[in-house]
Amino acid sequence: MNRFRDALGFLAIAAILLLISVLLILAVGSDVTKAFSSFLRGIFGSFYGFSEVLVRATPLILAGLGVAVGFRTGFVNIGAEGQIYLGAIAITVLGLAAPGLPPVLMVGLAILLGFVFGGIWSVVPGILKARFGISEVINTIMLNYIALNLVGVLVRTWLKDPSYPYPMSPMLPAAASYPELLSPTRLHAGFLVALAAAVAVYVLVFRTPTGFEMRAVGLNSRACHCAGIPVYKNIVLSAFISGGLAGIAGVGEIAGLHHRLIEGISPGYGYIAIIVSLLGQNHPLGVVVAALGVSALHVGSLSMQRAAGVPTSIASIIMGTLVVLILARKSLFGSTVKLVREN
Amino acid sequence: MPLLCMRNIDKAFFGKPANLQVCLEVQHNEIHALLGENGAGKTTLMNMLYGIYQRDAGEILYDGQNVAFSSPKDAIAHRIGMVHQHFTLVPTLTVSQNITLGLKSPGHPFPRRRDLNQQIQEISQRYSLEVDPTALVSTLSVGEQQRVEIIKLLYRDARLLILDEPTAVLTPQESESLFVVLRRLREEGHSVIIITHRIPEVMSITDTVTILRDGRNVATVKTSETSEQELARFMIGRALEPIGRSAAPPSCAGTALQLSEVTLVEHGRSKLGPVSLCVDPGKILGIAGVDGNGQKELAEVILGIRRHSAGSILLGDAVLDALGVMERKNLGIGYISDDRHHDSLVLDMDLMDNLLLKTHTEKRFITHGLLDRKKIRQDTARAVDAYHIKTSALECPIRYLSGGNQQKLILAREMAGQPRCIIAFQPTRGLDIGASEFVHQELLRLRDAGCAILMLSADLEEVLDLSDHIAVIHKGEIMDVLVNQDIDLTYIGLLMAGKRGDERGAVV
Amino acid sequence: MDVPLIATLTTFLAATIRMATPLTLAGLGETISEKSGVINIGVEAIMLSGAFFSFLTVFATGNHFLGLLAGMAGGAAVSMVHAVVSLRCKANQTIVGLALNFLILGLTSFLFLKSFGQTTILPSIAVIKPIQIPILSRIPILGQALFHQDIFVYLAIALVIGLSVFFYKTEWGVSLHAVGEHPRAADTAGLQVDTIRYLACLANGLLGGMGGAYLVLVKLGFFMENLTAGKGYIALVTVILGRRNPWGVMGAALVVGAAEALQIRLQTMGIPIPSQVFSMFPYVVTIVVLLFSIGKSSDPSALGVPYERDKR
Repeated sequence: MNRFRDALGFLAIAAILLLISVLLILAVGSDVTKAFSSFLRGIFGSFYGFSEVLVRATPLILAGLGVAVGFRTGFVNIGAEGQIYLGAIAITVLGLAAPGLPPVLMVGLAILLGFVFGGIWSVVPGILKARFGISEVINTIMLNYIALNLVGVLVRTWLKDPSYPYPMSPMLPAAASYPELLSPTRLHAGFLVALAAAVAVYVLVFRTPTGFEMRAVGLNSRACHCAGIPVYKNIVLSAFISGGLAGIAGVGEIAGLHHRLIEGISPGYGYIAIIVSLLGQNHPLGVVVAALGVSALHVGSLSMQRAAGVPTSIASIIMGTLVVLILARKSLFGSTVKLVREN
Repeated sequence: MPLLCMRNIDKAFFGKPANLQVCLEVQHNEIHALLGENGAGKTTLMNMLYGIYQRDAGEILYDGQNVAFSSPKDAIAHRIGMVHQHFTLVPTLTVSQNITLGLKSPGHPFPRRRDLNQQIQEISQRYSLEVDPTALVSTLSVGEQQRVEIIKLLYRDARLLILDEPTAVLTPQESESLFVVLRRLREEGHSVIIITHRIPEVMSITDTVTILRDGRNVATVKTSETSEQELARFMIGRALEPIGRSAAPPSCAGTALQLSEVTLVEHGRSKLGPVSLCVDPGKILGIAGVDGNGQKELAEVILGIRRHSAGSILLGDAVLDALGVMERKNLGIGYISDDRHHDSLVLDMDLMDNLLLKTHTEKRFITHGLLDRKKIRQDTARAVDAYHIKTSALECPIRYLSGGNQQKLILAREMAGQPRCIIAFQPTRGLDIGASEFVHQELLRLRDAGCAILMLSADLEEVLDLSDHIAVIHKGEIMDVLVNQDIDLTYIGLLMAGKRGDERGAVV
Repeated sequence: MDVPLIATLTTFLAATIRMATPLTLAGLGETISEKSGVINIGVEAIMLSGAFFSFLTVFATGNHFLGLLAGMAGGAAVSMVHAVVSLRCKANQTIVGLALNFLILGLTSFLFLKSFGQTTILPSIAVIKPIQIPILSRIPILGQALFHQDIFVYLAIALVIGLSVFFYKTEWGVSLHAVGEHPRAADTAGLQVDTIRYLACLANGLLGGMGGAYLVLVKLGFFMENLTAGKGYIALVTVILGRRNPWGVMGAALVVGAAEALQIRLQTMGIPIPSQVFSMFPYVVTIVVLLFSIGKSSDPSALGVPYERDKR
């Protein structure tokens, strides 16, 4: 009965979203069929388009996994955005400081350093929450803005490329790049890193004693404390891993796409990651699927803008509405289902 | 015409019936007991009267009118008041603000606090319910908070007062003075419903008793025309089985658990006065006392859930002082807490995971660094068998088990591996009689096997039934330790109220 | 004192107050909401919606008062969606707020593009002029800063005073406190917990919408995509720094406003420090202040927790 109800709920959500899309498309005076077909063509119509979905999904998977790991212990990490930037700083600093490293070592170290940088950015609010009970929500948001401005300062001062008047770092050595997977598309090995991370997170969370402790702490920290499970250690650890994964996402954006530190490498990936984690129900597999879906939504809406003149902001509207509806679905559709069943 | 008449009330939660065709009739100027064991549906029934729950079927006639309260606001408007078992006072507000909360006082919205305090004082004197209107509720003792709750009802001009387990948090003497207040209320024309599972209290204070069992009416009788035995039979459907506590086994050598001069200071306030206790193997030491007198602190200090400030705790020869909870448990201490849902279980995890809460790092469950689901499953299946835990599946979230089965799972976990010592804190709180008996038997079984048991309970009868020795705790201090033989109940009551033996003559 | 310094100081103070006003308005709204137990991190969305609808209305009608009303309505609409999903559907309030930030950012951009198309010159409206208060405005330094301001500044101060009285002197304030602190106690005392919370959310939307409208009607005179650019989050900061006390919220808003004013001042003076250093300031201060408030949590006990009467 529950499954029937869930299915009906999701069907209703899909219908509402479709309706909203149609209304929005009509509102800007575009042709609905043309818009939808260009949306689908953008995603599936070309090899390049589909590879773009994977490219954009890469940081979303990593950051989404991070947010999900945090949620498991009850650490609400709104700070993935800042942690992504910290990862980007990490690889830039490494690449500029040790340009002579061989590629394998360079990439490996970059991932490690990015993990640590991102982890530190998130472990601070983690400690504040676990030790002093200070809400991590505000702290992680604050750290986002600090990270954003920090990058702004760095690309204008210490990490600035002196040969250009623009705020950006010099190009990183070629060794600090992920291998390309399907030239000429932008797809890079970062996508494989993301998939590997998903597997690792699955094993950690669902198969190890540590993961068991984390899940238990997230569900009832008081009982864990009484059972002798170190609550503090688990929250801090999950916060560190959470930020670390987002940091790797930042490393990937530099190593796979930009190859130098610039402002605005993340168009809100860190915030979208929270939605991805929510849609994926904090499960690694769910996160991968949700990240692909959200990414496809963006790629499709870009194509829709080109071909049918529908503003890409439609993607944000759909995503926001989707989350609101999913959160609201139990009481919104519960009563409808009851009516259906009784009749 | 009766003041209140509830007819054929039905109420179900998630498809499980809590009340089935329940009827209740309360007269004017009457103290009426709603008697039944835990889970019999007493509080549910009263919450429907008070507008907190909505009934599924049935009708309520109040003062001859057919009423349906959609919220407590409506009930209050009809001069009905209820004191919940868990008090509903805002700790960060004053007594006076709590009492007038939600009312339009003269001068609204700018209350004339001094006049209001004057009125509160008048009520307080008239019914001898002493409180300070300007005190912050967070600074009050439990007994004082109960008085505030009652004044809150009287201030709202309640004619029918509902009290949910009012004596659960009181000493025998405090209960007596509460009864005086209740009789005074009856004289002044009020009616009172008390929800209780304590038969002696029903006999001493009420005029009429309605007994519920499994959500149904069993009987309604005049108190003067019944007996304790009959009420017990009504309440549990059979005669109470006496607890078969055998004579204490010959004392084994040495002490299992020893506390010397243990204190606990938190936020600059002393929570546990120097406590010295020892529990021998094969003995049950019962700690009697009014709820909230340091029992939780004592239990948690022994487990290491809170760190004691001074003194020393020994288990056999091992000094526990510097050890963490896990290490202490591994040395052989089991813990049954008073709050299953918060302290002992992760409600959204299944039986296997909950049983694993203590043993997830043990080598026998881990292969290649990963948890071995198969072995965990086998282990859980064995425990479910051994403790007769009723469940549809091992994968069922523990939330959906009954309180008794949840408690059995906790026993299975905490009693595994032949513990040397069990801390049983309110081990039967909220359980029905069958489950309580099971818990008592298990405790006695362990005792006979040589385990040292420290049992803390606010239920004096439970302490008297099970313990070899009885200690009384008051404000975090042990008042006295007695051998459980020909105990003088008045004396224990005085100790529970913090009056030592030497003051005895003066008080009585 | 020499004349240029006085002039500088006066402009600086005046700028500080102008920067602080929208934050104060939105912060006060959020304070009311949080005191009732509802945390809405979608203040950004509320302000953005307020800004957009006030702009649209003034652009169409030329009437600033109507614009203000439209802005408040726009803010209230967002806040009420949050309230319904949080209170009726018992959803995670933080996530709902976050989702609304996305939704409203997308929606305002979409509607703006739809209404005005892709333009290089932003459509603009006339801004509201400051009011010169006779005599008082002639006080040196402070006079021009305090008493030559627009109507919103005076309104914000009046609101701070009004809310202080409301919170700490009236029975309504006690009820609000009880609902946020111990909803079950409030319920059994006969207060309608959810109704009070909805009203608090409504107030949050109205004030936040007003704060957003201020940005358009007084400060900028135009609208663009993501106009608020994080001001909603700063408003959340003022609530925490101000410990949910109206005066505290205003004080915090002034500190943040001063940092912003200083940043602009230094930039125009050509000091070679990246402006980002100063932009970071309020966020760093927030974390530091939170550190110092360790162990003195003033959060309402039921903050973020929906009330379920039927819960057993």
